[in-house]
Amino acid sequence: MGDIEEVFDLFTQDGVILKQAQASYMQFLNSLGTVYINEAKTDPRERFLEWKPNDITVDSDMQDQEWAVVNTIQKRTRTISGSLPSDYSNRLRSLRVPFRDIKSFKSSHKNRELTVYNGQGDTICIFLFQTNCDHMAGHLKKFMKVVPSKRDRNLYYVQDNTLEIQQLTKSFAELNLPTDDSGIWRLVRNFQTQPVETTFEAFSKVTTLMYKTMDKKEISDHDREALNKSITEYGSNNTTDFAGNSNDYEVVATVPELPVRPEFPRLKPLSQELWRDHMDFEGKIEDVESVKNLIFRGGICPSIRKEVWKYLLEYYPWTSTYKERQNLAENLKDEYYKMKLQWKTITKTQEDNFSDYRDRKSLIEKDVNRTDRTVEFFAGDNNKNLNTLFEILMTFVMYNFDLGYVQGMSDLLSPILQLVEDEVESFWCFVGFMKIMSSNFDIDQAGMKEQFKKLQELLAFFSPNLSNYLNEHDSANMFFCFRWLLVWFKRELSQDDVMRFWEVLWTGLPCQNFHLLIAVTILDNEKEALMANGNGFTEILKHINDLSGKLDIDTIFNKAEGVYHQLKNAEHLTDNVRAILGLPLAPSSSNSASSSIAREMSLASDACASNGSAPRCSVENVRISPDENSYERSISGSYL
Amino acid sequence: MRSNHKNTLLKVVILGDGGVGKSCLMNRFVSNQFDEHSFHTIGVEFLNKDIDINGDTYTLQIWDTAGQERFKTLRTPFYRGSDICMLTYAINDKSSFKNLQMWKNEFLYYADIKENNQFPFIVIGNKSDITSEREVSQLELETWCNENGITSSIETSAKNASNVQEAFILAVEHWLRIEKRADKNETVYNDTVDLTKKQGEKSSCCIGSSDEN
Ligand SMILES: Nc1nc2c(ncn2[C@@H]2O[C@H](COP(=O)(O)OP(=O)(O)OP(=O)(O)O)[C@@H](O)[C@H]2O)c(=O)[nH]1
Ligand SMILES: [Mg+2]
Repeated sequence: MGDIEEVFDLFTQDGVILKQAQASYMQFLNSLGTVYINEAKTDPRERFLEWKPNDITVDSDMQDQEWAVVNTIQKRTRTISGSLPSDYSNRLRSLRVPFRDIKSFKSSHKNRELTVYNGQGDTICIFLFQTNCDHMAGHLKKFMKVVPSKRDRNLYYVQDNTLEIQQLTKSFAELNLPTDDSGIWRLVRNFQTQPVETTFEAFSKVTTLMYKTMDKKEISDHDREALNKSITEYGSNNTTDFAGNSNDYEVVATVPELPVRPEFPRLKPLSQELWRDHMDFEGKIEDVESVKNLIFRGGICPSIRKEVWKYLLEYYPWTSTYKERQNLAENLKDEYYKMKLQWKTITKTQEDNFSDYRDRKSLIEKDVNRTDRTVEFFAGDNNKNLNTLFEILMTFVMYNFDLGYVQGMSDLLSPILQLVEDEVESFWCFVGFMKIMSSNFDIDQAGMKEQFKKLQELLAFFSPNLSNYLNEHDSANMFFCFRWLLVWFKRELSQDDVMRFWEVLWTGLPCQNFHLLIAVTILDNEKEALMANGNGFTEILKHINDLSGKLDIDTIFNKAEGVYHQLKNAEHLTDNVRAILGLPLAPSSSNSASSSIAREMSLASDACASNGSAPRCSVENVRISPDENSYERSISGSYL
Repeated sequence: MRSNHKNTLLKVVILGDGGVGKSCLMNRFVSNQFDEHSFHTIGVEFLNKDIDINGDTYTLQIWDTAGQERFKTLRTPFYRGSDICMLTYAINDKSSFKNLQMWKNEFLYYADIKENNQFPFIVIGNKSDITSEREVSQLELETWCNENGITSSIETSAKNASNVQEAFILAVEHWLRIEKRADKNETVYNDTVDLTKKQGEKSSCCIGSSDEN
């Protein structure tokens, strides 16, 4: 809006970055500006919190940087990057928040961040201060009537809007539970959609109210129970931590517990005999799902691993015959050499004039020399296998020039080449693997960011204490799991374990994103160490990096599979988590669209199940249910 | 401000193209080891190491990230709060030298450094042991540093341990010089985001109705 309006500036501070705001301010995110407290000249009651960018030409790169800033060391009070005169010529657009919209605010990250809330569990905006927000917060406290939260001394509630507070106080004191969509009940409901943010705010709110009412009137047991119940019903289990740590208040929210975790001891690896048993006279694999289940539960015997990987990595279709595979192999071989010839025949001049190509080539050269050199297969100078590694990666650049070569790919190829040995076959197996992994290598890293987000959500549901801890210690971005996720634990495991680990994940069982449940499992195992001594991001990163070489994949698989069952059977499972794991959405969901999807899904899965082995559902088309179903069958099978 | 600091924690970031030897430098400095076939870096790693200078102890927290452009958005958040930045190239790799400018800009931008001529940058030309393949002369290094207002530079070899300790000491000394200078200007750069200091145009700035508590 062109809100050029006469205002008095009551306070200003420059060197303030806008970290978060409504989507319409997208272009300003992460840019530097100045915050103001303004008052309309026409009406002294109209006050605003306002932020203006210093410079309207925002470097588009800045928008990439969605990461919460990681402060590893507290900024010294004096910094050479201190304050600078800002450019006021630009008054074109600004973020303006009327005081009446501000219901609470909170300083965090060692007072470098100031978050402003709208009182409904939503954040209005987050500012990041180059120095700190003490002045700003001090002035907000002066211009608005605020009370500190008793739970969190950095959180303040604005009392100007007495009406709502009164209502809330009333409803809590008398537990006159309103059924409309207002006040605390909306907050409570927001637990489901935005558990983390809402929990912060809501609980402080609840506890503030409690402490305001408590000294006057004890809450009766009956009321307390009702309160607990309502929170339990609506709440996510993020609330445990807060309640658990709270000595100050009597209201303790209990949270639905996860079902008991079943044990899943690993089975024997898929043997040669069993594998042959699954092949018919033409060489087609019968009952693919049962083969996959066997692999999922126990991996593959080294003697047939090389052959089976070609199926898992989609070099061979599962239902191809001997004959078809032979033809296929020949065609793919031709195709490979065609692509290889393309870069092999690039002349020196061409190369000199083709910087993109040159850069990729030089990066591959550098990385190949630094890939698994301790493994015998790649050890020693002038090792010809290194050259094969190089040639496959170069050919992959020609196969997918847009993606090109990205660091991490050589790690993914290395075990495949070691096992498969043949250059052409390794290439195509690698292509299959890259189909699963390519989003990890997106230009903008969107794929990785997406994974961090999903991991965060899974962890918040499964291990709320840890998740809260990470949130409060600059680590909610999950960045410390980057290496795990980028190359599927390749750097954390021995060469042998990597193979056993990947083949299990390639089955796609028991659910989508199982590798994230593995990450959740490991994090949960390390919970105590991670949360010790007030560890911050730095210590957490260190601990996670140092786990390399110390992970026992059999116990991890065992537990991760159990975790999957705990989640799946949890009564309070959210649709969010269901979506991440590819589980059908809750049939009771109030949203009619989603419940009809869920219905369709279960129909599809019934069809697959009852048809037995005849017209097999392709896993590609119906990602969720058939896997799910046959997986279930195999479980009951192996325990009967 | 810094009265009798016994131990100062300094955050050091090592930047430079993939393969110039950032991780090797860090490992040489921290554990005096060199592994020719170590992995390229995925994500971020850091190591701590204490050094003594003039009787004071400095704990260097050294941050090492992956050099590839693709991972830019994931590494830049770590620049913030840095005390020292080491810009690294390999003397046998011209393009890694040419990219120093890019690295410097990226750092200044994301670390939010405003007065860059005061920030302790140090330029490191690594792999000084392979002079036979040298592509960047010492003169070129000096010229670039002059043009960029950088006063500290050094050639090192992580492989034969030449000048590695020295490079880190040089960096800390540079930091100390700037810190001392800043100490003198304490009043200007104090933590009050000096509203009074602000220049002209904005007449109506500053604290309104009530004063500081
Ligand atoms: N001759 C020589 N080789 C070196 C030296 N330092 C590193 N190298 C080699 O250069 C290669 C790259 O070193 P790294 O330390 O992995 O490079 P980096 O800068 O960390 O690279 P990224 O992690 O990919 O960003 C390795 O193969 C080392 O053996 C040196 O001083 N002399
Ligand atoms: Mg490295």
